[in-house]
Amino acid sequence: MKRNAYANIGLAVLAIVVLACLPLVVKKDSILNLLILVLLYVVLASSWNILGGYAGQSNLGHAAFFGIGSLVTRLLWILGWPFAACMAAGVASAIALALLIGFPAFKLRGVYFAIGTLALAQILNVTVGNLLPEMSYNPALADYQIVPRYYLFLALAVMTIAAASAVVHSRLGLGMKAVRFQEDAAESLGVSAFKHKLVALIFSASFAGLAGGAFAYYHVSYYLNMPFGPAWTFDPMMMAYIGGAGTVVGPIIGSVFFVLIKELLVLHVGEYHLVIFGTLFILVVLFLPGGLVEAWEKTRTALQRWTRARPRGPVATDTR
Amino acid sequence: MLSIDAVDAYYEDIQALWGVSMEVREGELVVLVGPNGAGKTTVLRVISGLLRPASGRILFQDRVLNKEPAHKIVALGICQVPESGRIFTGMSVLENLELGAFVPDARREREKTLRWVYEIFPRLRERESQFAGTLSGGERQMLAIGRALMGKPRLLMLDEPSFGLAPILVDQTFEMITKINREGVTVLLVEQNVRAALELASRAYLLENGRIVGQGTGQDLLSYESVRSAYLA
Amino acid sequence: MLESVSQTLILGILVGALYALVALGLSLVFGVTKFLNVAHGELLMFGGYASFWVFSLLGIDPFLTIPTTLIALTLIGAIVYQLFFVRMVKLPEETKIKNTLLVGFGLSVILQNLALRFWSADDRGITASYSGVAFTVLGVRFPLVRLASLLTALIFLLALHLFLRKTYTGKAIRATVQDWEAATLMGIDIQRVYFLAFVLGAALAGVAGTLVAVNYSIEPSMGLNWTLKALIVMVLGGLGSITGTLVGGLLLGLTESVTSLLLSSNYREVVGLVLFVLILIFRPQGLFGTKEA
Repeated sequence: MKRNAYANIGLAVLAIVVLACLPLVVKKDSILNLLILVLLYVVLASSWNILGGYAGQSNLGHAAFFGIGSLVTRLLWILGWPFAACMAAGVASAIALALLIGFPAFKLRGVYFAIGTLALAQILNVTVGNLLPEMSYNPALADYQIVPRYYLFLALAVMTIAAASAVVHSRLGLGMKAVRFQEDAAESLGVSAFKHKLVALIFSASFAGLAGGAFAYYHVSYYLNMPFGPAWTFDPMMMAYIGGAGTVVGPIIGSVFFVLIKELLVLHVGEYHLVIFGTLFILVVLFLPGGLVEAWEKTRTALQRWTRARPRGPVATDTR
Repeated sequence: MLSIDAVDAYYEDIQALWGVSMEVREGELVVLVGPNGAGKTTVLRVISGLLRPASGRILFQDRVLNKEPAHKIVALGICQVPESGRIFTGMSVLENLELGAFVPDARREREKTLRWVYEIFPRLRERESQFAGTLSGGERQMLAIGRALMGKPRLLMLDEPSFGLAPILVDQTFEMITKINREGVTVLLVEQNVRAALELASRAYLLENGRIVGQGTGQDLLSYESVRSAYLA
Repeated sequence: MLESVSQTLILGILVGALYALVALGLSLVFGVTKFLNVAHGELLMFGGYASFWVFSLLGIDPFLTIPTTLIALTLIGAIVYQLFFVRMVKLPEETKIKNTLLVGFGLSVILQNLALRFWSADDRGITASYSGVAFTVLGVRFPLVRLASLLTALIFLLALHLFLRKTYTGKAIRATVQDWEAATLMGIDIQRVYFLAFVLGAALAGVAGTLVAVNYSIEPSMGLNWTLKALIVMVLGGLGSITGTLVGGLLLGLTESVTSLLLSSNYREVVGLVLFVLILIFRPQGLFGTKEA
C-alpha cells in the first residue's frame, strides 16, 4: 500500500509542477482559459463529490454555494474591498448558507433531500435574478491579467483535491462512507449520520464557495444570478459520476473528459457534447456505478489476468 | 394435473426447498401441512411463478411452468389465494371480483362466474359496492377466495385461509373449500391447522424444513406417529 | 378593489387547472411505477414544440394540434422507456426512486441539448387568432385562451379518471399500485402496466406542453421549471388521486396569483418553491396523502 501511495503522490506533484510552469511556456490566452475551465470544474466536481458521491447525499443544489460565493465576492469587490477579504467573505457566506439549510435539509431522506436542495437553489437563482438583474462588470477590467487567475484556480484545485483526499482517508471519511451505504446500520453503530452529513456539506459548500470567489475574480462580465443556474450543479455532478463518484481522482478524470469532449465536438459536429455526456451519465448510473475509475480497474485486472502476470501488491481495492 | 419434481428453491443465497416432489391429480383436494417456516408458502410461490426454482421441474397438464412468467401461469388456470388474502383494500368488493376475472378466458364468462361466486358467498353480494377495506376478517377471506374463483381456475391454491379467523369461521371456510372442490375445482390447500385440513384431504404431504417428510391419504397422515405427537398432542 | 381580488382569484383558478394537468402525468407515473422522471418538463417541452411545429405548418387552431402531440409523445415516451427505464422495474423502491431520479436528470440534459440543436434558444409561442379575446363578466376578465385551456385540462383529468375507474386496464393499473404481487396473481402483466403508465404520463406531459405553448412560451431550458411545478403540485395535493392533483394545482395557481397581487409578479415562481420546501420539511406526505408517500 505504501508503494502505491508514494507513486500517487509523486504523480500528483509532477502534475502540479507541470501545470504551474505552463504559463511560462504557453502564451495563448485561449489555452489558459480552457485550463481554467477544467480547474474550475475540478473544484466543483470534487466538492460535489464529497457530499454527493462519498457521503451519498445527492445534492442537487450545489450551484447555490457556488452562486453565493461568487455573489458576495463580486459585490464586495465592486464596493472596493481588498480581494482576499472578498473571497473570505464569499466562503463564509457559503458556509453560513450550508449551516442554514443543513439543519432542515437533512431531515429529508434520500430523494426528498435531492429535490429539496434543487428547489432551494432555484429559489436563490430566481430571487437574485429579481433583486439584481443588471450585468456586473469586473472591477479589474483596466489591468485584467489572466495568469494570476490561472494560478488562483490551480491553487484551489490542488487544495480541493488534497482536502478530498484527506477526508477520504480519514476516520471521518469512513463514517461518511458508512452513512452512504447503510445509514440506519451506521446510526446503530454510533456513527452520527447527521454530524457526518453536515461536515460533508460544509466541506462541499466551502470549496464551491471558493470556486465562486475565483469565478468572480475571473469573469469579465456576467449576470449575477448566472452562477446559481442549475447547469453549475448538473455538469459537475455528471463529471463526478462519469469519472467515478466516491473516488478522489474520479472528478478530475470527469472534468478533463468533459471539457475535452466539448472542445472536440464543437470543432467538428457542433454543440452535442451534452447529449453524449447525458448518455454516458445514464450508462454509468445503470451499468457502471464506479465510472471510468471502475472501468479502468476492471480493464487493468482483466489485462493482468490475460497476461498471466500476478499483480504486485494488493489487488484493486474498492476505494469507494 | 400438477406435478412438482425434485424442486430446489432459494431466497438469495438461502436454500428454502430441497428436492420437493408433489403431485396433484384432477379433482383431488390435496393438503400441504407443516410447521411455521417449513416452506409451504414458498412451494405455492414457486408454482405460481413468483419464485423461480433453482432446479427441478413443474409440470401442469403436460406443460412445463419453470420459465413461464407469473401472469401467464394464471392464464393457464392456476389461481392462488395468497396468505392473508391480499385483497385490494382501496377498491370495492365488486372491483376486486372483476379483477379476479382479468385473464381473457375468465373475463368472457365473468357474469356467469360472478353468479356462482355469489351463490357460494351470498354475503359478498350484499357488500358488493363497499370498499374492501371496510370488510371484516372473515368477509375479507371470502372475498379473497371468491376473487380467485373468478379466474375460473382449474387448480385453486390457498395459503392458510384459516389464519387469524375465529373457530366458527374456520369451520365455515373449510366447508366452503370442500364444497368448491366437490363442484369440480382441484384444490391445493396449504395449512397449519393440521387436524381440520387433514380431515378434508384426499391426499396430503408433510413439509418440514423445506423437505417432504411424509405423504399419503389424509387418514394416513393423521395416524402417522410424528404428526400426532408434533401437532395433535 | 373587489374586482381586482376576483380577477386575481379567477386567473389563479384558470392557471391552476393548467398546473394540475402538468402534474397529472408525473403523478400517474410516480404513483404506479415509483419512477421519479425529472425529465417530465422536457417531455412537456417537446409537446410544446410538436404543437408549435404543426401550428406553423398547417395554421390550424392550436387546440387541434393536440392529437399530434399525443401521438408524438406516446412514441417518444415508449422509446425513452425502453431505452432507459425498463431495466429499473425490478429494483427495490428506494433505489428505484433514487436511480430513476438520476436517469431522468441525465435524460433531461440530453433532451434539452437536442431541443437546442433542433430549434435554437429563441422563445417560441403559439398565438391563436383569438388570443386577445376575453369575456368580461361583472368586471372580471376571462381570457378565451385561458378558458379553453381550463376546459382542455378538465377534459383530460376527467378522461383519465374514467379510464382508471371504468376500464379493465385502468382497474389493473390501480390494483398494481396497491399490491403488485397480488395483481400478478390475477394474471396482470406488471411490465405492461408500467409501460402503459409511463407512456400515458408522457402523452399527458405533451398535452400540457401544448397548453404551455399557447398560454406562455417555450424554449429549450424551460423543462426544469415545469418539472418543479409538477413536483410542487404533487406535494400539495398528495399522491394517488386525481382530485388531489386538481386541488394541488388550484392551490398553487391561487397562491401564485395572490402573491402576484400582494408582492409583485416577479415572486410568482419563488412562492411555489418556498411552499414546496416548507411542505417537504414539515409534511412530506402532502396535504392530503397518507404517511406512506
